[in-house]
Amino acid sequence: MVRHRADYLYVAPAVLVMVLVIAYPVWFTFYLSMFSTPPNLALEDKIFVGLDNYARILGADSVHEASLNTLVWTVASTALAFVLGFGAALALNRPFRGRGLLRGILLVPYVISAVAAAYVWRWLLHSDLGVLSALAMATGLRSQPFNFLDNTDTVLASLIMVNVWKEFPFVMIMMLAGLQTVPDQLLRAAQVDGAGPWQRFWHITVPHLGNVSLVTVLLLLAANFNGFTIPWVMTGGGPAGASEIWITQIYQLAFGRIRFGLASAYSVILFAVMMTMGYFYVRALVGRDRAS
Amino acid sequence: MAGYRIGRRELLAGAATAALLPGALAAQGNKTGVDASTWTPDYINKLAGTADYDTAAECAKVVPLDYKGRLTYWYWGVNQASTEIERKMEADFFAAFAKTYPNIELVKQNLDYNAMLDKLRTASIGKSAPMVARLPILWGSEFAAKGQLMAFGPTDVGYSEDEFWPGALKSVTWKGKRYGVPTNNETMAFIWNAAIFKEAGLDPDKAPASWDDVVAYSKQIKDKTGKNGYGMVARVNAGNTPFRFMPQLWAYGGGALDEAEASPTYTKIMLNSPGAKAALQASYDMYVRDKSVPVSALTNTQTENQDPFIAGQIAMMISHPSEYALMIERARKATGADKQVADNVVANMRYGLIPRGPARRAVVFGGSNAHVFNPNIVEGGMDLQAVKAFVAFMTGPEWSIKLAWNISNPGNVRGFRTKWMRERLDTIRFLDVSTSMLPNGIPFPVLPQSAEIMNIIVPNMLQNTLTRKMTPDQAAENAAKELRALINDL
Amino acid sequence: MRRGFWPLAGWLYLGLLAVFSLLPMAWMLITSVKTQFAAIQFPPEWIPSHPTLDAYAELLSPGREIGRVFLRYLLNSLWVSTATTVLGVIVAVPAAYAFSRFRFPGRNLLFYGVLLRNMFPAVVFLMPLFIMMRFLGLVNTQLSLILTYLTFGLPLSIWLLKGFFDNIPIQLEQAARIDGASRFKAFLLVVMPLSSPGIIATAIYSFIQAWNEYVYALTFLNDDAKLTLPVGLQHFFTEYATNWPGLMAASFIMSVPVVAMFLVLQKYFVRALTDGAVKS
Repeated sequence: MVRHRADYLYVAPAVLVMVLVIAYPVWFTFYLSMFSTPPNLALEDKIFVGLDNYARILGADSVHEASLNTLVWTVASTALAFVLGFGAALALNRPFRGRGLLRGILLVPYVISAVAAAYVWRWLLHSDLGVLSALAMATGLRSQPFNFLDNTDTVLASLIMVNVWKEFPFVMIMMLAGLQTVPDQLLRAAQVDGAGPWQRFWHITVPHLGNVSLVTVLLLLAANFNGFTIPWVMTGGGPAGASEIWITQIYQLAFGRIRFGLASAYSVILFAVMMTMGYFYVRALVGRDRAS
Repeated sequence: MAGYRIGRRELLAGAATAALLPGALAAQGNKTGVDASTWTPDYINKLAGTADYDTAAECAKVVPLDYKGRLTYWYWGVNQASTEIERKMEADFFAAFAKTYPNIELVKQNLDYNAMLDKLRTASIGKSAPMVARLPILWGSEFAAKGQLMAFGPTDVGYSEDEFWPGALKSVTWKGKRYGVPTNNETMAFIWNAAIFKEAGLDPDKAPASWDDVVAYSKQIKDKTGKNGYGMVARVNAGNTPFRFMPQLWAYGGGALDEAEASPTYTKIMLNSPGAKAALQASYDMYVRDKSVPVSALTNTQTENQDPFIAGQIAMMISHPSEYALMIERARKATGADKQVADNVVANMRYGLIPRGPARRAVVFGGSNAHVFNPNIVEGGMDLQAVKAFVAFMTGPEWSIKLAWNISNPGNVRGFRTKWMRERLDTIRFLDVSTSMLPNGIPFPVLPQSAEIMNIIVPNMLQNTLTRKMTPDQAAENAAKELRALINDL
Repeated sequence: MRRGFWPLAGWLYLGLLAVFSLLPMAWMLITSVKTQFAAIQFPPEWIPSHPTLDAYAELLSPGREIGRVFLRYLLNSLWVSTATTVLGVIVAVPAAYAFSRFRFPGRNLLFYGVLLRNMFPAVVFLMPLFIMMRFLGLVNTQLSLILTYLTFGLPLSIWLLKGFFDNIPIQLEQAARIDGASRFKAFLLVVMPLSSPGIIATAIYSFIQAWNEYVYALTFLNDDAKLTLPVGLQHFFTEYATNWPGLMAASFIMSVPVVAMFLVLQKYFVRALTDGAVKS
């Protein structure tokens, strides 16, 4: 221990600031999840209810409906962003003129503010005044505006599309970096041996990308699970709950309905799911670390 | 203007039956010189410009003008989407206060309407609330119920309670005590585009008399012109939704609780009453059966209806007085070919009373109140003298009308007698019509859960119906069940 | 490069993706040069018939009320984001170095613990963090934001930099130390210069996170004079109306610095990832 005292000094600031900003809120959320906080009581006058809040969250129909949405939202956003971004990385992974500029253009969605982007997208997809509808109508492709957001069947898919738009550049840049680590000699050797593009891709490129893919997917899953701005600004969870996901329900409970106790219990459930997911993921990461 | 005349005639009939105000206000006539028992456009016109008040002198009676102190104030004020006159009035207000009380340091924060409530709740829990906040009428009771406000009413700043509307006083009352001073009060009115009415074969100068007419007009407009008839708003968690749907619900005889009754108890649940179901059915007929309203009603706030209204794509809607002012300003700033279109829209705009239903004619009694926070949660401690000086200054006849210039009406009814009311009537078309709806105004239930009822339960009920997730009947029963759970939860 | 099906498909794909990427920005730009009335027409004007730079002129002229407020927000945002970025580097670099070089007990636990930050949704932490900031006396200070934003960027920064340091041969440092340099000096003179792409990359990442954050800024600050740009965007909405050209112009101005920064520095970002974390 003594031998390592100086080592801890290096990590102390980072750990301290993380603990400061995480530990208290996590503890507070756990603590508050045991209390009922009705809107007519100040927070100091909260009522201890034990695990009742958990029972109420786990038993609520609206939560069950949102669970399916959350799963679809998280998995579909992650998968599509990954496919789209990986594709872009593959296409960009060869020298050509203007590559830097094109890469820069494709990074724009990742860089601009999610709030501003959500407002613009809401306008682009609007069911009466939508810019995309107007475009389709102007070119004679449609006679009526598209109904993307006011339709319980399409609203979630539309939001996923916007979310993918925001996130694919992150995948692209991560995978682009990953691709550049694939040894050129190996690829050339394979080509000499007569391997076609598909074979080279599957047998040489893909195995080299395991680690970076795992990390990218982990970060995406976490981001999407907590993805709040786009659904909240664009639909507020509507229509009739069709685009409600866990995190929008938590926000609605905490700030729309001022049930901080219930919202905290819901948050703890969300943490637990995230942690479980995170645990398996980190295990996979560590496993690969050891293997390599 | 024919639409205007019809509005006035109907209004005379309406004022005679309105139960909310006249009795209470008739008695106060002697003290304030304002008598609402004859609250008609003519009366409003006659009243304007009959009195002059000295704001500094009135304030000096409450707090000496050389008082030295500090004040923190949060409000929902003008911004880059406001009209020029609103911005000017607000700037004048702060300048005038600084001149009247040169030794009071004012630290203010102007907040967005949609963000203010969450921020104030968090600040109250974190014991860093401001001394004074000006809040929309629906929000105060939650903070009062939690003990986060200080008992503080008109009499604390030297005004008689008779100077304020009974509905407004009700909105600042919790368990028999006053927790605020009304700053401004307004009611919305019905607005329509005469040109679209004409194109659809309707009388361009006649508002739909009843909500059933609205449904029929909306269909006729959609069928004949392809444009949207009624500007429905049904987004969840948006204050705009109840302000547009509750008048319809009340008109058909429904209610969230019994807020529309003469002496409400706020304990009787009426979301599943036949009137509420009829109102839901009417909305269903417009959105699902006739498809005569914007498809985007489920995600829209009023902004997304106002824009197409100005662009001539929506024929009629419930409109806040400020929207008219804004349209005029936008038309004024339009250029080129747009100018023509914009001027046409303004010329074709008509204002009238909100339609009646089988039970009554109703509108939401809106406005804002100035609240004083409980000293133990105020950041940096309380300076009560500075608070009194500021609230007295703000809620007197002069500034309560100037700050409400084209968006509301003075909370202090003496404001109606000032020369500024005269000036407003002369420059703001339809002002007397929208003002004359005040006696039909119904305040939202004065409960800490009001925001949740109005912004979540009621819009959810609408959405469940309009998406056909439930029948109107099921949606109403479901909402009533939620409301019962909410009331019993406490 | 060989001509053929794949490069062509690649071009087509990238072209479509570029359109998809730029569509919202394009609409932002088009709307920002319209008048308020023209902005709300449907069908919309694809090319503004009377383009005007009024919205930009207002926002950028310090002599006018809007411009004065907006430019102050801009400066505040620059300050908060820069401070977050600099502090982030100062905190992340030693931590990542220690995780890479030292074998102290609890190292793995701490490392993955730091990465867990991303698992917690920001909106859940809003209220408890506010209470804590109040306790620390930091409400209504920009320091409260800087501290919070610091933790957004740290996980990726530390992870990325650690990978980076892993790839710098330890022999280089040892050589320096044999020449008489202290461990710290060896770190400063040998490791830091070699890892500059990684540091630049993490700096950009932190900057963007801080630049765009909205909810915490809104909650923690109570003084118009201290607010940041994303909060300033709300000044373009009222309950009944939106000033679309103003909002779009402000959004556009807000996007310019980060987009430009990314365009200029993106090659470091890729290189950092390539040389750093990904390789390990």
